[in-house]
Amino acid sequence: MEWLAGLLFLSVIVLLLAGFPVAFTLGGTALIFAGLGVTAGVFNEALLTGLPNRIFGIMSNATLLAVPLFVFMGVTLERARIAEQLLDTLSRLFGNLGGGLGISVTLVGMLLAASTGIVGATVVTMGLLSLPTMLKRGYSPSVAAGTICASGTLGQIIPPSIILVMLGDVMTSAYQQAQLAMGIFSPQTVAVGDLFAGALLPGLLLVVLYMLYILAAAIIRPEAMPPYCRKSGERVSYAEFLEAALPPLALVFAVLGSILAGLATPTEAAGVGGMGALLLALVRGELDLARLRDITRATLRISSMVFLILIGASLFSLVFRGYGGDDAVHAVLEGLPGGAFGAMLAVMIAMFLLGFVLDFIEIIFVVVPIVGPVLLAMGLDPVWLGVMIAVNLQTSFLTPPFGFALFYLRGVAPATLPTEAIYRGVLPFVGIQLLALVLLALLPQLATWLPGAIYGR
Amino acid sequence: MRQAAASTIDRFSRLLGHVTAWLTLAMLVVTASVVVLRYAFDTGFIWLQESVTWMHAAVFMLGAAYTLQMDEHVRVDVFYRRFGPRRRALVDLTGVILFLLPMTAFLAGSSWDFIAASWSLKEASRESGGLPYPMIPLLKSILLVMPLTLALQGLAIALRATAVLGHPGPRAAAR
Repeated sequence: MEWLAGLLFLSVIVLLLAGFPVAFTLGGTALIFAGLGVTAGVFNEALLTGLPNRIFGIMSNATLLAVPLFVFMGVTLERARIAEQLLDTLSRLFGNLGGGLGISVTLVGMLLAASTGIVGATVVTMGLLSLPTMLKRGYSPSVAAGTICASGTLGQIIPPSIILVMLGDVMTSAYQQAQLAMGIFSPQTVAVGDLFAGALLPGLLLVVLYMLYILAAAIIRPEAMPPYCRKSGERVSYAEFLEAALPPLALVFAVLGSILAGLATPTEAAGVGGMGALLLALVRGELDLARLRDITRATLRISSMVFLILIGASLFSLVFRGYGGDDAVHAVLEGLPGGAFGAMLAVMIAMFLLGFVLDFIEIIFVVVPIVGPVLLAMGLDPVWLGVMIAVNLQTSFLTPPFGFALFYLRGVAPATLPTEAIYRGVLPFVGIQLLALVLLALLPQLATWLPGAIYGR
Repeated sequence: MRQAAASTIDRFSRLLGHVTAWLTLAMLVVTASVVVLRYAFDTGFIWLQESVTWMHAAVFMLGAAYTLQMDEHVRVDVFYRRFGPRRRALVDLTGVILFLLPMTAFLAGSSWDFIAASWSLKEASRESGGLPYPMIPLLKSILLVMPLTLALQGLAIALRATAVLGHPGPRAAAR
């Protein structure tokens, strides 16, 4: 009955395009397939009885506890205008540099990592935050749009993004499964901290490549990205810089540093980081009861959105597995020519294409649990695999004409900004992404060295 | 009539969401306190740590209906965003009937025994010093509350959609 699993997967993709919320489309479609299967006598009803237990497992998952706390921190940094002030200060710091504003946007995108769960949300935030300024300061529309799309998706692969928390959680169980399948009964573990450490260097590499590109482009086409400050009065003093930029930077580095140094679990770091963000907002006079209320509500909505997808996805994977879908995927991947390389390439291409339809969270919860154990059982490193998936998907979200990020920027961009300009502007960044992907494939140490050095994996 | 019913449901979901939302702040404060207790005073309470997990689960389960009401359960909106109000209403109505209601009914139905067992066992935390009875059965009962509130909000969406669909569209009106 494997073909029914295939049909289920295809049906979900097609039905998702209708636009009903993902969580329910995933779960509902799976339930319809299960129901029909039970009626036709080809699906074992008993497989579904474990569902409440699985959902309770999600409710008491200690790793994913970090998600709402990081979201809280990110939302606070955003709503309390800390990100905005940071962007302004950085822009003025690089005020007489051509492309300085573009670089500032990249850096702020990187720092918004904590709240970066949904591609759309960050691209929209970055778009609202920086597009008007960039256009006003004379940036060419395509350069501005490309920089914003790329920076808005950058946060996903920079720790401590909640994407990496979720990916880490899924990788942990995939790795265990893979080792059990290989007959290793005292399996090694991979934790969220490993993935944070693994993603750090590739993430910073991307940041550096983005900035180099922006600087080079500013030299080649100075008229496309003029310096931010025309008058010297707009420049920033060191005192101003220290006041506006240092606290949020210190906060993010402290959170990340304490996790990487093993001083705190991601959850603890997120809790303290969230408190830090609140204190910062309070000190700056940007926090009143109304804003605090808005922050809690936004945090609740984002968390609920994420976890409902996880619930829908677990219903989906129960049914998919019940029809033998997992085994079929294993057989296909193992039958591919080229061994682990062939399987990896196939999975990467498939994920790239799925990235046009599904957001990161869905791919993590639906696709990674299916393909992860097979790939890991072929001997691939879990940290490297996780980072490859993250960079690959980020590339997918940027690729015209279907990339998610482009749609979202289109949604907040003025009508005078032609869609072709967005496509044109983002292409160099897609090139950079592909370059990073090839580098990562050739030099897995980029991802595996740091966790090895820190945790001795 | 339909509008009034839908608005009442909206208000209920919103109230539940707004109240639950404060738990996110409580999670933050408690997590930070646990860290301070551990590192500054070298002490800790298991029940305090478990209460964070408890609140976390309550947040996303009890907030689900409110999130639906605010239309923030993410959609693949490549096409949806270009649809007019009638086509959107059609998608929403079909989605509620085909996906949301069956899924919530199944979740509620299948978790009944799971919850009942927990209450009848007077389940407490497995860790010593963990959350006492009845916190665990209470948490498991959320498995029933979530689908029920979600289904209710789905009903409100369906009611609104039928109102849009029942209305003569701009094309029909022009004729």
